[in-house]
Amino acid sequence: MKELKDKIEEHKRNFDRAIAQVKDENAIQKVRNLYLSRKRGYLRFLFEDLKTLKPEEKPEVGQMVNDFRNYVQDKLQSLKEEFTTPRPVLKKVDLTLPGKKRYWGSPHPILLFQQEIENIFLRMGFSIAEGPEIETDYYNFEALNFPPHHPARDDWDTLYITDDLLLRTHTSPVQIRVMEKKKPPIMIINPGKVYRKEDPDPTHLPMFYQVEGLVVDIGITLAHLKGTLEYFLKTLFHEKIKIRFRPSFFPFTEPSAEVDIGCTVCQGKSKECRVCGGSGWIEILGSGMVDPQVLKNVNIDPEKYSGFAFGLGVERTAMFAFQIPDMRYFYENDLRFIREFSLK
Amino acid sequence: MRISVNWIRDYIDVSLSIPRLIEELNSIGLLIEEWEEKGGDVILDLETYANRPDTLGHMGVARELAAKLGLPIKEQTWPLTELEEKTSDLVDIQIWDGDLCPRYSGIIVKGVQLGTSPDWLIKKIEAMGLKPINNVVDVSNYVLFATAQPIHIFDLAKIGGRKIIIRRAKKGEILRSLEGEDIHLSHEMLVIADDKKPIALAGIIGGEESAVSEYTRDVFIESAYFDPVSVRKTNKKAGIQTDASYRFERGADISFSPQAALMAASLLTQIGGEATKGIKDVYPKPKKSKTVVLRNHRVSELLGVDVDEDFIEKTLTDLGFQVELQQQGIWRIKIPFFRIDIEREADLIEEIARFYGFDRIPARIPPLKTLEPVLDQKRRRVNRLRQLLFHYGFDEVVNYSFFDPEKEAIFETSRKAVRIRNPISSRASLLKTTLIGGLLENIVWNRNRGAEGVHIFEAGKIYFSQDETCVEQLMLALVTSGFVGTTHWQTESEKADFFQLKGTCEDLMADLHYEPFSFQEENHPFFQQGYSLSLHFKGKAVGYLGLLKEDILDSYSLKDPVWAAELNLNELFERQPQSFLYSPVIKYPSMSRDVSFIADQDVVFQEIKEVVERLSIPYLEKFELYDRFSGPFIPKDKISLSFRFIFRHPKRTLLTEEVDNLQQKIINALKTSFNIQLREGEKIDK
Ligand SMILES: [Zn+2]
Repeated sequence: MKELKDKIEEHKRNFDRAIAQVKDENAIQKVRNLYLSRKRGYLRFLFEDLKTLKPEEKPEVGQMVNDFRNYVQDKLQSLKEEFTTPRPVLKKVDLTLPGKKRYWGSPHPILLFQQEIENIFLRMGFSIAEGPEIETDYYNFEALNFPPHHPARDDWDTLYITDDLLLRTHTSPVQIRVMEKKKPPIMIINPGKVYRKEDPDPTHLPMFYQVEGLVVDIGITLAHLKGTLEYFLKTLFHEKIKIRFRPSFFPFTEPSAEVDIGCTVCQGKSKECRVCGGSGWIEILGSGMVDPQVLKNVNIDPEKYSGFAFGLGVERTAMFAFQIPDMRYFYENDLRFIREFSLK
Repeated sequence: MRISVNWIRDYIDVSLSIPRLIEELNSIGLLIEEWEEKGGDVILDLETYANRPDTLGHMGVARELAAKLGLPIKEQTWPLTELEEKTSDLVDIQIWDGDLCPRYSGIIVKGVQLGTSPDWLIKKIEAMGLKPINNVVDVSNYVLFATAQPIHIFDLAKIGGRKIIIRRAKKGEILRSLEGEDIHLSHEMLVIADDKKPIALAGIIGGEESAVSEYTRDVFIESAYFDPVSVRKTNKKAGIQTDASYRFERGADISFSPQAALMAASLLTQIGGEATKGIKDVYPKPKKSKTVVLRNHRVSELLGVDVDEDFIEKTLTDLGFQVELQQQGIWRIKIPFFRIDIEREADLIEEIARFYGFDRIPARIPPLKTLEPVLDQKRRRVNRLRQLLFHYGFDEVVNYSFFDPEKEAIFETSRKAVRIRNPISSRASLLKTTLIGGLLENIVWNRNRGAEGVHIFEAGKIYFSQDETCVEQLMLALVTSGFVGTTHWQTESEKADFFQLKGTCEDLMADLHYEPFSFQEENHPFFQQGYSLSLHFKGKAVGYLGLLKEDILDSYSLKDPVWAAELNLNELFERQPQSFLYSPVIKYPSMSRDVSFIADQDVVFQEIKEVVERLSIPYLEKFELYDRFSGPFIPKDKISLSFRFIFRHPKRTLLTEEVDNLQQKIINALKTSFNIQLREGEKIDK
């Protein structure tokens, strides 16, 4: 009798272990066959074993076998339900409630736009060169063919640190620094902050970003300047944009050209257009063939080499591109303004 | 400058519509930005360039337009009613400082009847936006706006000793200007003087005393060439800019000086005066014309297009150059004196390009002969860093480089600020020595406009002087204040605090592979005592973070706490980050163990961390503090710390017993180093 009781206990332990590992209905069926099969199930054998007991022992052990059978049946039944019954009914949720949003920071629009400009030139094979913002008079003016005491300097209202040190008024000094160190071919752009002695107003800032560029090699012509800048402007704005090259004056280029694009707001049709002032054109770039004196200043032979240079104000161009009426917005750092550009 | 189309028609017969006329002018670089119709005339607003003083008068503009349109220039004559008296007998002109005044011409007109100008002259003066004064003043303005040569008219009676002396001023001399202001003269200033005193500041402004008045009968007309640099220095120093000085400092036409005097004299005799015989012209060392050699092949080499030789010759001739063919494709070009901008071949090529038309030059892409590898690690790192910060939820700002000295003082940066000598305002007279000031202004701005949380960064330069040089140092600054992230009905809003900022710094360092890094408690002038850390990488403090001190916040009127960090990117980027190489993903499962301790309240996490790290437990992949609390279930002055230790063997599955042993080792070490007990309910298998 003891033997049979132990056997029942062991079967129970094995059964518990077996169902603990059950993962699906198939496995339930296997366990069921193992214990409840009429032919070969363990329970059938246990009932067989009962017959070998003495009559007075039968009620107690018989009860144990019955209990075990019920236990197995209940467990398997509930397990089966677990696998087959549908999941509990979902509570009704108001799906119109707002979703969870992530907060991503936004780049500053000027740096975003500057990068867009840089990428166009990088694609053409330009590399990027940078330089100091506190410059000497030599690099900012003299080497760029601005004689001392020349009225041309008036167009570049300058913030001075000392007689000789100033805040660069353009990124052109970087071009001088590059040409001093490196022989042609040179194909660079110079992005960065520049400074002017100007009170901030809707179209002027005491500090702004410029991207300037320089190409110097044998056989570089004004036609190359036109081709490069046309490609740049069409990529930045639109391939059908109108582009005009207009003679101008810069001390460091000869010939010099300013590059205008057709006003896309009024198509040149409104005399009152706020964006182009009625002229139909917006000045975007200053450019020209590098002045031979500038090449001489850095010991590049202007008889052998020629080059072109160009520059644009990032804020000015961004103002036009995004129709921003006031340049000062860029430096108010109003997050509502900055974040408008996050999806741009 | 203002250009009257009617005035232009005095010189050429131009009949184009105004828009067409503007287009033609623009195409040769004479940019018209605006125009208006006024009293039967059209006034163009011409943008002029510093190197083209010849376009500062109507005759110069007409010359350009005539060349562009192929029109002849109408000759003008200047008849004189002449007296028998010779000019040179009535006035003695002496140039004492010929370096500053190489040419001086003059003529006298006697019996001038001061009065209102004739209608035609009034119209011209009004077209220039000026008020007609009287016929004498109007004539001198007329000559200036017609020819770009300024002239000055003196009352002859007021010229002491009938002497005109062009000399440097003597120290202490004073000139009362036409505008009634006393100009204190200094030795580098050139004046026109009579036998005793200055009567005009050369090329800039006349004196009050010698000015023409209602009693004037006879006048002396001055037309001269003054050295541009001298005029510029003087007008800067005296702070007087006039239509005359604007032209002289750009360079007048030295050959034209007597002609301008003649024009003025002729006009004055037409209104009743009589001129003395002959213009007195003092020009001791006549200047030679410049000549420049122009090679046709250079034209195409620079412009990228072949330009017809006839076109080159015609254009230059029409513009007043003397063209002489030396041999096929090479010319010798004599430059007229009014073209002070032309000195070299390239300058002439620009003339050809201007008139050939930029629109006719083809557009080509320059050939790419070399392509440089992009080596700019710094730029790449800054960009990577910006992307990471966007990801962490920080918005980017860009502030001016200027700094208010009062604010600078509060920050006590110990960096010596760079001072701007002529700032746009006294509150922007320094260059910033920290980026944090700007960021605080941005917090204020946005808070005042309803922002509940401001989490921003700026990557940019600061400036300071060190050992007599100016240093520009690339920095990163972050500030965080107020609510973080977006609000949502399911979650509670989180407020910025120190650990949010520290976590950002940790993420940033780790994501940029600047590992291992460490923090140290260290006081810093920006931060409240005991609330700041320094950040170290490879033995160098590369940044600081903490709670901004109260007087800084007060100076920006900020009430709520602001946490800030400033990293020196120059220092950081000079050091190599951990080089990145692929490491195989471990296939074997990890085992984690959670352990909770009761420790003294003032136990320092960093010390616990160091004890564990010093053990160099093998296969301890990482461990983290996942809970820290005190309260009713924890004894007083104690704290509960829960750690999770994760173990993993690279080549096999770890055995339970192995991990048990390692865990026990850690517990033992912590027990010896700190006063700690295992939390109840923690089961430690032996
Ligand atoms: Zn428009």
